[in-house]
Amino acid sequence: MKQITKHSILRFFAVLVFLWALILSGYNICQHRNPIELELGMFAGSNWDVANANSYVIIDKVIAQFEEEHPGVKVHYTSGIRKSDYSEWYAQQVMKGRTPDVSMILSDDFDQLVSLGVLENLTELMQKDMEFDASEYYTTALDAGKYKDGQYAMPYETVPNLMFVNKSLLNHEGFLMPDSDWTWDDMYDICKRVTKDQDGDGRLDQFGVYNFGWQEAAYSNGAQLYDEEGSESNFTDQRVIDSVKYVKKLSDLNQGQNVSQDEFDAGNVVFMPLSFANYRTYKTYPYKIKKYTTFKWECVTMPSGPQGDNLSEVNTLLMGISKESRHKELAWELLKLFTYNKEIQMDIFRYSQGASVIRSVTNSPRAEAILSEDTDDREQVIDTALLDKIIEKGIIVPRFPKYHETMVYAEGEMDKILSDDKNVESTLKTIQRNVTSLLAQ
Amino acid sequence: MRDKRILYIKHLMLLINIVANLTPAVLIYITTSKICNYYIARSFMGRVTALPQNPTTIFAGTAVLLTCLVISFFLREFLYTDQYQFIYGSLFFDFITSFVLMYVLNFNYNGILFWVFANIIYYVHDKGKMVFMLLSIIIYVGTDFEFLSINYSLFSIYDYMGYYDFNTQQYLLGIYNMLVSLNIIIFILFCIYVIQEQQGIIEKVNSLYAQLSQKNNELENANEELKQYADIKEKMGQTKERNRLAREIHDTLGHTLTGISAGIDACLTMIDSNPQVTKKQLEVISKVTRDGIGEVRRSVTELRPDALDRLSLESAVGNMIHDMTMVTKAEVLFTCDAENLKFDEDEENTIYRIIQESITNAVRHGKATKIWVTITREDYELHLKIQDNGEGCTDMKKGFGTRHMIERIQMLHGTVNFKGDNGFLVDAVIPIRWGEEYD
Repeated sequence: MKQITKHSILRFFAVLVFLWALILSGYNICQHRNPIELELGMFAGSNWDVANANSYVIIDKVIAQFEEEHPGVKVHYTSGIRKSDYSEWYAQQVMKGRTPDVSMILSDDFDQLVSLGVLENLTELMQKDMEFDASEYYTTALDAGKYKDGQYAMPYETVPNLMFVNKSLLNHEGFLMPDSDWTWDDMYDICKRVTKDQDGDGRLDQFGVYNFGWQEAAYSNGAQLYDEEGSESNFTDQRVIDSVKYVKKLSDLNQGQNVSQDEFDAGNVVFMPLSFANYRTYKTYPYKIKKYTTFKWECVTMPSGPQGDNLSEVNTLLMGISKESRHKELAWELLKLFTYNKEIQMDIFRYSQGASVIRSVTNSPRAEAILSEDTDDREQVIDTALLDKIIEKGIIVPRFPKYHETMVYAEGEMDKILSDDKNVESTLKTIQRNVTSLLAQ
Repeated sequence: MRDKRILYIKHLMLLINIVANLTPAVLIYITTSKICNYYIARSFMGRVTALPQNPTTIFAGTAVLLTCLVISFFLREFLYTDQYQFIYGSLFFDFITSFVLMYVLNFNYNGILFWVFANIIYYVHDKGKMVFMLLSIIIYVGTDFEFLSINYSLFSIYDYMGYYDFNTQQYLLGIYNMLVSLNIIIFILFCIYVIQEQQGIIEKVNSLYAQLSQKNNELENANEELKQYADIKEKMGQTKERNRLAREIHDTLGHTLTGISAGIDACLTMIDSNPQVTKKQLEVISKVTRDGIGEVRRSVTELRPDALDRLSLESAVGNMIHDMTMVTKAEVLFTCDAENLKFDEDEENTIYRIIQESITNAVRHGKATKIWVTITREDYELHLKIQDNGEGCTDMKKGFGTRHMIERIQMLHGTVNFKGDNGFLVDAVIPIRWGEEYD
């Protein structure tokens, strides 16, 4: 009797073990028999919220080249994910444990993904790769992918902010295009002169500037709002105070009237900050005909403050490797093809709206030639040397966890300064105090 | 001694641990798919500090590891119950498996340790139980989720519970915490039970020890009584022997001497009147005297040891030694270089008795294993030495045996010395009587 019990127990366990072994080995065989497949996470369209008809051109080219260089390796991507859905799609992949090997990282997600341990620290891969030289990248672009001491993502495409100038209006008012080293005072002079009531209804209908906020002013005045870790803020810095005061001075010119995007589109505003991607998109066919057709326009650097330079915010699209990737070496090769290969980086000028993150590419005659290809001969094309300087020295917006929260608060308080005529110094002190306590929480 | 109750506790504990381990795994799996279905993954990720690698892998891993623990338990409990190598091996296997399991679940549940330690505690003995109980508590505290999450980024099932509405959250939290607490309570119960069982064994040992020492005391008393009884018996034997001697003397010597004195009295009255009759009478008296002597000799012969009656002294001593070695463990070495010695009966008796008494003493009091008996002759003296390798005796009380020996030797005008610092030595010197005729 006991013998039978023993046998049945043994047989039961044997079957159990056998089943598990079968399931696990079957799963493993399925995983390994297929050719190595790298998953690429990407979104359709532009990262810079402009129309882009060629969003898959570069991707497909990179994949074709990569698959040719690495026989037996396939790269797969899910098409049709819009930028607005990408963050959610990516989060779902992470939660399901299916994080793509290589993927584009939205700058809003970067911090969170690194702190959750989703992204691989690339520092070691960079150091191991003898052919790789990080100094080829723009420092600002590379820094955008840094978190604390590690490099968690590589820059793929970068876009600086520029000042959009309604050249027709400017010329009409008797001014020439400002030089690239123009100052706040130059801008104030122009704004003061162009702000007027043209039709005589008692309301201003021609304005100097739209959408030039205290942040843009602060960046061009050399102010740094936070330290790198986001543990301290500097709202009471004289450079910030001057920036806010300058913006208030500009705003006061409008005599309390609000300037809107429509006014600019109608050609009644001289200046408006704009991204390089907008410049690229609306300067060239076919989008050129859809916007800003009533006037001639041009781009120039931001005006420099008394203590700053002609600098502005630089946005960078990042690409990273999943920590859970099983083929990190291959993923690194693919990532390098996207971000380090000069031919592919040149295609950014050709098919995308940003600028290359590789210095020698952005600053090359070929890039300049591509930029001037579709523009009218009479129009001035943005100088790549200037672009080079703006990108290299540009401002990276910090992305520590409480950045958005504190900035929303600061933005609200700044609006009150402009609209309610509050004292600048005391309001900034209040902001500084409250932001400090927010950061300390 | 397998206790059914302990086995039930173990089964219950295994069941609780299976459910408690599967709860986080299943919860993560289901919640993840719900979160993805409702497109709130991005905002969920904003609320957590860490994410599990892959919910499917976690579920599969947990299931496989739990299966391993179940198999290990049943094999240990029902199939290889007496193979200690397998048992200890499987306990070690359980320990490692439980750590992998905790790692897979990011230390959200570490109660599995109690399951492992309950098994270990069951199989180790005595103080080891306490050590492992303490160890289990230390490791349990050391692998605490809140504690570990300070330094390591660990996903938390509470984050996943937070996805649900308040009511569901309360239910989930309640059930999960109940499982965790139940597991701890059952572990404590198990420990108490094991300790109680161990206490029972200790009490049993103590009572057995008490019984043993009581018996030992009784035995000692009995031994003492036996000794006293032996003394009494000896005394009784002496008394009996004296009575016999007295009777013998009375019967033989008394009778003869009475006859002789009566005959001599008759002769005294008759010697002047009738010398012829007196002469005859004296002849009768002489005969009676000789008969008396014969009687006395017979009596003496009766009192002599048997062996000496039949054999020479040397053979008798040899026999006695042989008998002695047969009944005791002691080895007796006998050498005698005084051959062709003619001893009188009293001398033979004394030598024989001294050797016998010495060997007896050596065995009884000295617990000797080797005894050397040597008889040598030096000029007109006979040297008798009995040396043993026993305990010896530095502070020697003159007991009946030694006093008897001294008396016997003195009767032969000899001397005897005792030395007890290196084994025990009896050294007797007896002067040799030459040409002295007894009869």
